Formats: sequence, C-alpha cells, structure tokens
Amino acid sequence: MRNIISGLMGATVLAAGLGATPALSADITITMAAPDWPPTRFMKEHFDQTYTSPAGHTTTLDMDFIPWPSFYERVAASLTSGEQKYQMIVTDSQWLGAFVEGGYYLDLTDKINADPELQAIMQDLHPALVSAYSTYPHRTRAQLEEAGEVPAPGVSYYGFPQFPDTYVTFYREDIFCHEGEMAAFQEKYGSNLPCSYEDWQDTDWQKWGQIGEFFQRSAGEDLAGETLDDDFYGIAYQAGKGYDFSTMAINAFIWQQGGDIWDESKMPEAQAEGVVNSDAAVAAFDEYLSYLQYMPPVAQTGQMDIFVIQDLYMQGKVGAIIDWVGLGEPVLDPSASKVHDKSAFGPAPGSRKGDGTIDRTGNIGGQPFVLTTWNSDEVVDEALNVVKWWLNPETQLSAVANGGQSGLKSVMADPGYNDLRPWNRAHVEMIDWQKDVWHIPEFFELLTQQQEEFDKAITGQQSAKEALDSVAEFQQELLEDIGFIE
Amino acid sequence: MSETSASKGGFGAWALDPKRRGAMLVAPALIILFVMNIFPLLWSFGLSFFNYKASSPRVPSFRGLSNYERVLTDEKTWERFQTTAVIVGSSVLLQLIVGFLLALMFAKVFPMRRIVLMLVLTPMMLSFVSVGVFFKLFYEPTFGIVSYVMNIFMTDKFVMLGSPGGAIAGIVIADAWMWSPFVMLLVLAGLVSVPKYLYEAAEIDRASSWRIFWTITFPYIKSLLLLAILFRTIETFKLFDIVYIITEGGPGSSTETIAVFLYRNAFQFFQTSRSAALAYIVLFIVIVLTNLYLYAVNRREEEVT
Repeated sequence: MRNIISGLMGATVLAAGLGATPALSADITITMAAPDWPPTRFMKEHFDQTYTSPAGHTTTLDMDFIPWPSFYERVAASLTSGEQKYQMIVTDSQWLGAFVEGGYYLDLTDKINADPELQAIMQDLHPALVSAYSTYPHRTRAQLEEAGEVPAPGVSYYGFPQFPDTYVTFYREDIFCHEGEMAAFQEKYGSNLPCSYEDWQDTDWQKWGQIGEFFQRSAGEDLAGETLDDDFYGIAYQAGKGYDFSTMAINAFIWQQGGDIWDESKMPEAQAEGVVNSDAAVAAFDEYLSYLQYMPPVAQTGQMDIFVIQDLYMQGKVGAIIDWVGLGEPVLDPSASKVHDKSAFGPAPGSRKGDGTIDRTGNIGGQPFVLTTWNSDEVVDEALNVVKWWLNPETQLSAVANGGQSGLKSVMADPGYNDLRPWNRAHVEMIDWQKDVWHIPEFFELLTQQQEEFDKAITGQQSAKEALDSVAEFQQELLEDIGFIE
Repeated sequence: MSETSASKGGFGAWALDPKRRGAMLVAPALIILFVMNIFPLLWSFGLSFFNYKASSPRVPSFRGLSNYERVLTDEKTWERFQTTAVIVGSSVLLQLIVGFLLALMFAKVFPMRRIVLMLVLTPMMLSFVSVGVFFKLFYEPTFGIVSYVMNIFMTDKFVMLGSPGGAIAGIVIADAWMWSPFVMLLVLAGLVSVPKYLYEAAEIDRASSWRIFWTITFPYIKSLLLLAILFRTIETFKLFDIVYIITEGGPGSSTETIAVFLYRNAFQFFQTSRSAALAYIVLFIVIVLTNLYLYAVNRREEEVT
C-alpha cells in the first residue's frame, strides 16, 4: 500500500511540476465557509505552512470560520442572498440538493473527467464517501459500484471529503477493564464486559443496554474500586432535538434491523408511508428508546446532542458514549478532559443477525467541500489544486495525525495509519458500513419535522409508532406535492 | 435656493441654508430608516402574497391571500399562539408580583440600599443569550444547580426540562428573573412620587395598611403598572432568544412560541412567503398592543399634569 501512496504522491509532484510554468500568475484569494472546529483550523494552518500553487499563483485560503450551531443558517443566508462571498464551502452532504438546485454548487464532473489526477483521487476515495459526499442526484454506493468505473457514466459529481466522519465508541478503559467490574458483569449477565477492541467488535445493542444498566450508579456507590462523589451513567448516545442529533443515531437502528428511510435513489416509485413506519422501523426505534433510561437524565429533555455527551464523558460522568471521531481530540486533551488518559476507542455497537454477525450500518457524518458556480475558470482551477493538495496522501496523513480523518483507501491502508490516532482502527472498520440520509432540496423540511416527532418520543410524549406514523404521513404528503412520489 | 448662492458656496452652503437645514439634518436618519426598516418591511409584505421560497431558484408566482389563509387555518399556528399566551401570561404575572415586592422593599431606606438595588437591576442589563445559557446550565439535570438542590428533597432525579410543564416553567422563571427588575423600576417610580403628607394624614386617621395601600399608593402606581403589563406583554410576546437557547422549543414543540415557530418556518423550512404572512399577523397583534400601551402612556401623562 505504501507503493500506492508513493505513486499518488509522485503523480501529484509530477503534475505540480508540469503545471509550474503557467502563462500568467495571479493573486488568488479563495474564501471558504468552514465550521469552526479542529479539522478546519488544521486545514488553514497547514495550508499556510505548506501550500504552493502548482500554477505559480500567490494563493490565499481565507477561511470564514462559523460556529457549528449557526453554520447552516449562515451558509444558506449567504448563498440565497446572492452575495457570492465564498469560492469554496465545507458543506453537509445533505445540503447538496438544495444548493445544487439553487445554482450555487459547481458540477465538477467534466473537470474530473478531464483530469487524471482528480480521477485517481476519486478512484482512491472510499465509495461510501463518493456516494454520500459527491453525487447529486444521489447515487447509492451499490449503484456506483455497479457502474464499474469512476467517474460513473451519467452521474454528476460535486464534492470531495474535507473531513469524513464516522461514529465510534469512546469508553473508559479503567472501568471496563477493571477486574472486579468485569467479574461482576460476567456474573450478572453471563458475558464479558468489553475491554479490548476485539471485545467491542463483538458488542451488540443488547450488550450496550446491559452496560448501561450495569454501570448506572448513584453517588456513594463504588465504581472500579472507588467511591463515587456523584451519580454515574454507563452509556450515552445522541438524543437531541437540534439539527440531526437524533436522526443520525435512530437511522442506524432502523437500517440495521431491516427498516428503511424514504429512498431517494428509487424515486418516484419509492414510498414513505409503509416504509418509514414499517414494523421493522418501529421495532428498531423502540429499541433505541429503550436504552435511554440508562443514560444521563439530560436524555429526558431531548437535548442530549453530540456535544453534550462528549462533555459528560470528558467530565467522567459516563462510561461509554457513541460519538463522531471528529469530537475525539478534546477527549485526549489533559486541559479539557478528566478521562484523557483513561479513554480507548472501539467500533460502535450494532444489531446481531441470525448468523451471529453484527450489522453496524450507520449514518455517515463529516463534510465534503464544494466549489461555487460564480468562480472564474482561473479560480476553479486553483481551487481544484487546493483539493488535490488536501487529498494528497502526505497532507492527509498530517491531517489524520492532527485529529482529522482521511477518506482515501490508500491512506487508511497505510501500516502506520492506525497508530496515528487511537480511533483510527475503529474509523476504518465503521466507514465501510456508512449510508447517508436524503440529499433532496427539501431535506431540511424532512429533517426538522422528523426531529420534532422523534423528540416527542424521546421525551415520552408519544410512542415510537405514533412518531413514525406522523413522520411517514408528513413525508408522503410533502414528497407527493413536489412530485418525488407518484 | 438660487443658482447664485449655490455657485457661491457650493453644495455645503446649499445644504446648510437655514431654509433646509432641518430637513438635511434628519435626512440621514430617514434614509437609514427607509433602507433598513421601511423597505424590508414593504418588501416582505409583498412577498407574503407570493409563493416565494428563499432556498429555491424558482420564480415566485402571485398567490393572493392564500398564505394568510393557510397560516390562519393551520392548527399548529394556534397551538403556538396558545403556548405563547401561557408563557406571556405566566411570565408577566410573575414579573408583576416579584417586581412589585421588590419595589416595596426598595421604597424604604435600609443599609446598602444602593448596592443591593444595583445588583437587583443587573439581570435586565445582561444579554438574552447569556441569560439563556445561564439558565440552561442551571437546569442541566446531571450537574446543574437546580437539579442538585431539588434532588436533596426528591427520590427521583429532578429533570426541569423533561416535561412540557417543567420546560414552560423553566422559561417563565428565566424571563421573569431577567425582567422583574424592570417592573420594579416602574413601580418604584410610582411609589416615590406619592406625597409623604398623604401617608402622614392617613396615620393620623389611623387607617389600616391595606386602606393606605388601596386609597393612597395604588392610585399613584396603577397607570405605571398598566404600562409595565403592556410593555412586558409586547416584549414577552416576541420572546425568542431565551426559548431557543434553553429548550429549542422542546420537549417536542411544547415550548415553541410564535416567534420560534416563525423562525423555524422562515429559516429551517424556508417557507419564506408563508412566514412573511405570519410575521404580519404577529406585527398586527403587536401594533394593537402598542396602541394600548400608548393610550396608557397618554393617560399617565394626563394624570401627572
């Protein structure tokens, strides 16, 4: 695999060398809308330190760092206002439809077809990422793989991974590997408490619930040989009303247990009613809800989002959480985390199948970056040079070492990759299971209504079936209105 | 303005001509007001008659009053108005009670009165976002102080924001904490304006405390109380920041005020025209309340004069 990386690096250097004699050099500023967090901060720092334009331009990457909670609104407001502020945008994959149809995101298919370097990158990217981050109208991984070539004929491509993210398990090694706790767990449930990475590979949702029940302790009780000053909880995953903070977790349950969301890749035949609220989906949602009782009480408020569970974990109040790799770095920071030296990482639990294997299908996280349509040819070409620089194996390995992630198969297969960050092995295992939610322009309407109904179920105001019936009815009506369901 | 004077002094002299000096001085403010307020107001009013979606490049078509009809016949709108009414009613009542009691306390002289008064006034000087974040952390059930204290007296975990009633109470408390000092200021102004000789005469007549309050104090503060009620009703009716930060309208939609509902329709569902229609309905209600407020102000002025 080293050879593949070396080959890609060589191709990049060669291309940079060939392109180093441009007719004209220019000062180019690329303004990029980016969420304010470590992976984008690193990109800016690393760009300033290492980027040299192969076209001989003096290029500035001007990152507009926007806080996560207002990121969508700020980007949407900028695009729809027509201010044409950004040349590149870090975007959630779900926004592709809205902003492609709006005429804001640039179709890069022809550029990719005409550029062997970009083609090599696309071929090296994990197909789950190409499907989720790049294609619109959306093509599933299976559809892309069936086409057999990259880029696939008749498919339009828009984005490249800026930060490919997956769910993994963060857990406290000091309590999960404590002999007394392990023996007590074995005695109570007749199975082992997951301690090693391999143990987590064999952990399903049923055991996840047992862990939650086992470690739910009150102040004054013992935990791993020490008396607790405060209440302690075994498990947490996201159950928040904001943005997509419960949908991402619930979709995983639904997909793993044979249910589905409305399938945009099969429109207009695909239906919402009968699918979204199928018996399998309701059972899966019920199982998701059943574990909330073992989680910190903030779960009862519908505000247990990815940042809240990260914070509770870092404060030492939860034994294991399922969260994005992108939120792992602060956990290891001694100045921010009480468990920085006690944490280990494993794959997220999944649903056990009849044959004993575990299905870990999950909803992909992370973000691609895209180019905007108002850029001049010169800016587009230079922005694509930035894409090539970022997806260069050397840059990617630096990004991974600094808390980023890579979607390049060659980088993930590098023998030294797993040692760069402690969650890398789990990330590679999880990325193969990833699917994505909808990409249609009305995605936010679907998501917001669904989040509200899920929230009512999470806070005990309605059952899983009532929630999914309501979601299915809303989606059926909306999608019929806009002609996506016939 | 004659050509002669213009040519003599140029634009500066023309603009500073005493005949038009007043107009020129107010012109910048009027231009800013038009560009920042009047024009967007008229533009959004126009949008409310189309089917415009800010996220869509489709050319909007004229829909007449259908957006207003859809908003007014949507049961969700009325649910949100009911939620808003509950929050407004509870919060303004609590502000009146707390504000009134504080005013009675500060109407008397006691040691360190000025410092305590300054501290009591602090909440209304804070930003909505800060107050929202404070209270969200106070109510946090794992480490928040409210849950910590309540858990001493309860067997089950106290989760303030875990039920619709608790979440509404949480918002009402935060809003009342912030704005009770404002009510106190108004009532205090009324209390200190009562001539002392009236109280002295009442004492000579041996009037009861209730009689003194009802026949002397209350007439002086009633119009100020009315002002406080109207002003706080208008402001609480538009409550957005605190709700959005503390509960985001949840659990479910149980604390979704009309302002949060409007925001979600406009910037999450991108139903721009329908949101504009709803915004004008809300504006109409606020204008009615404002006119009542102005009527109360005029009555107060008449009473004073």
